[in-house]
Amino acid sequence: MRYRLAGSVAALALATSACGGGTAAAPPGTAATGSTAAPGFLAVADDKLPAGGALNVAVHIDSGAATGLDPQLADVATSWQLMSLVYETLVTVGPDFTPQPRLAESWENPTPTTYVFHLRKGVAFSNGREMTADDVVGSLKRLLAAKSVWRGQLGPVEKVAKVDAATVKVTLAKPYTPFLAALANVPAAILPMKEIEAKTLDPAKEMLGTGPFKVQAHRQDVSWNFARNEHYWDKGKPAADSLTVTIAPEEAARVAAVQNGSSALAALGNVDSAAMLAGAANVKVATQATTDFYYLMLNSKNPKFADPRVRQALNMALDRKQMAEVALGGQGKPTGVTPAGLPGACDPATLPSATGGGAAKAKELLAQAGVANLSFTLSIYSTEPAPAVAQVIQQNLQQAGVAVKIEQMDEASWSGKVYGKVPATFDAALSWFAGYADPGMVTTWWNPDVAGFNVGFMQADKDLNKLIAAATETPSGAERDKALAAVCAKVDTDAQMIPLVTRPATVAYRADAVSPSLYATEGYGNLLRLVADARVKKG
Amino acid sequence: MNRTTRVKGTARAKRTASVKGTAGGRRARRLDPLSLTGLGCLLLLVLVALGSLVHAGGDPDAIVGPRLQPPGPGWWLGTDNLGRSMLPRVMEGVGTTLLLSSAAVLVTAALSAGFGILAGYRGGYLNELVMRVVELLYSFPAIVLAILVAAVAGPGQLAAVASIVLVTIPLMIRLVRAAAVAVAERDYVTAAAISGAGLPRILGRHILPNVAGTIAVQGTYALSVGISVEGGLSFLGFGVQPPQASLGVLIRQGGTYMMAAPWLIIGPGVVLVLAILSINVLGDGLRDRFEPRETRALI
Repeated sequence: MRYRLAGSVAALALATSACGGGTAAAPPGTAATGSTAAPGFLAVADDKLPAGGALNVAVHIDSGAATGLDPQLADVATSWQLMSLVYETLVTVGPDFTPQPRLAESWENPTPTTYVFHLRKGVAFSNGREMTADDVVGSLKRLLAAKSVWRGQLGPVEKVAKVDAATVKVTLAKPYTPFLAALANVPAAILPMKEIEAKTLDPAKEMLGTGPFKVQAHRQDVSWNFARNEHYWDKGKPAADSLTVTIAPEEAARVAAVQNGSSALAALGNVDSAAMLAGAANVKVATQATTDFYYLMLNSKNPKFADPRVRQALNMALDRKQMAEVALGGQGKPTGVTPAGLPGACDPATLPSATGGGAAKAKELLAQAGVANLSFTLSIYSTEPAPAVAQVIQQNLQQAGVAVKIEQMDEASWSGKVYGKVPATFDAALSWFAGYADPGMVTTWWNPDVAGFNVGFMQADKDLNKLIAAATETPSGAERDKALAAVCAKVDTDAQMIPLVTRPATVAYRADAVSPSLYATEGYGNLLRLVADARVKKG
Repeated sequence: MNRTTRVKGTARAKRTASVKGTAGGRRARRLDPLSLTGLGCLLLLVLVALGSLVHAGGDPDAIVGPRLQPPGPGWWLGTDNLGRSMLPRVMEGVGTTLLLSSAAVLVTAALSAGFGILAGYRGGYLNELVMRVVELLYSFPAIVLAILVAAVAGPGQLAAVASIVLVTIPLMIRLVRAAAVAVAERDYVTAAAISGAGLPRILGRHILPNVAGTIAVQGTYALSVGISVEGGLSFLGFGVQPPQASLGVLIRQGGTYMMAAPWLIIGPGVVLVLAILSINVLGDGLRDRFEPRETRALI
């Protein structure tokens, strides 16, 4: 459900890679050539450059949520990315995925189930009204009551209360380790509740937040124009006076935009972007290592995949290493359900599918299940590099005697096909999840009772749900690592949604037009996370 | 001259033309060297396509080596972004493109013959209706019409064939109808009607054989248009689905890597140009060979 949660920021996909007869691929998380970025960063904006100027960036898809502009209902990473320019959360994440202060200047965790947030002073919405504790309490209560997919990530919140004008206390029913990481995403943004309750603002139609920018104009699927929020609390930011986000679905158009200078920065999907832009003057390409990962959905409500042995056989036949090396040009990594790269994530090489015996064993398992000449259709969207991953899957499964027909479509059609009907009518589908900043968060989506979006094609597994709950309740440490490993193994054998490989994200920028800041890692599909720091060099 | 003598005479002339080179004082009836070269190239491409069916150049979907390797031993046209050899993929692409285009042109020819001849012979409301529909189809730019079809039918081979048919059918119906109008006024058609021949007999025995040349010639042009449309559709992602290769798919992919891995576009690009050029040259030759003078000016 990349489309719903992980989102289609896919523009950003992947990595620089080998090309031109063996050009060495830069590993994800490495800075652009010639860059002198600090540890944890791909690039750091040069604050000696004067502020001001207009910044133009290009992404592949607009915010396409049917729920409009309400950040609490946003369920795709593309929407989160755009909304993050206007809205802010109590906490954010640093380059090492640790929680960092944002609208909450600090917090305490006096008991495993209590969080006390001390709000930052001098924060105002872009209409000039000061943010209050009531806005924070109201926003969180509204999210808890909303039919938001992110509600499932907040955990067992029991009570949200205002302590004083600058303090808010959240009480949980039981410990929930990913709580701060869940608060760090856009759906948990602080909204102008006074205006919303007075019905002078409809958040589904208009964005009004405390973030660095405010919306000036929007043409769906064409562009967004943002202006500096003059009331922004972090003085000196945003560095740029204005920001234009151009929607350019075609990869070639984004590449051309960077090459000709019409965009200072662009999110790219091709894993060979670095090699392809190697000769372009003043263009730098950098690749973020993300916790996002591709996964294969096998519709277990379809008779073809009702038998767990069939799903396990397919899982066993998949060669994740080949996917990472071939489809992702060496920029991805095999992963289990706990995203590779996050502390505490399980080792995918130890999972039953990796040690089970490969295609030969898969054939045996299929024979045991009484399945011969299995064939199915794999539905994918056309955004790179998903088609490449799908073709490697097809090749892998062919070794096990399974015929896969690939059905490629645009993202909207794909979403309709996969999520549009209950029970779902597709055989199998490919997508990606954002991996977030805590290894237990994404595992929540393997519980259809909590996730909701996958009830059409996934059967709830009580044992797995218990393991997921245990992993999210256990405090970080060896015990939690063990609990996460148990979830990994169970997901691997359940094989209804099969984790595959991580999805790096690539950005190209004009070194003569912008000095950007970019984390080396990202967990929420937000390539524009530090765009307020970017310094415009001309224009 | 009645229809029978005309048809027989034409057939005899065709047979003797290859031997004598001239017939009845008219210019040579054998294909000129350029057209023969086009025919040869086309046959070569057909052989390549047939070779791909038995994986003569290798499995087009198999990952055989490192990705994006330049041409060399083991992958004579280089490898693509998934480490697949480009040689079998280009061969498969030729087959896919020729097959889709040919199938579409056959459908176009059949429909055009039916509607064009009927409209040309019967005239009246039927003629008006057919021509207005044709004009409606004509009003859409080819690729826009193709995208519209793909959007309705969904991406894939069916969409590609339907698109090619809709793009190529307007011109062919017009030309067949015009030829049919001219033939319908001939004495032998009138004589057939007076002698009590039914509509199917008149259309099938008296008019169709005399507009067949127009259909054949226009078919070659439609084939080149079809190849272009398939290429355009696949280039936009509405054509054949991965991993199947078509020339359009390969060119689309190659365009992305044009600077870093030019071999990805050179192979399919050269073959596409060769195919379209060959068919156009052959079409010109066929027109000179078969087309009646009165209908030649229509093309």
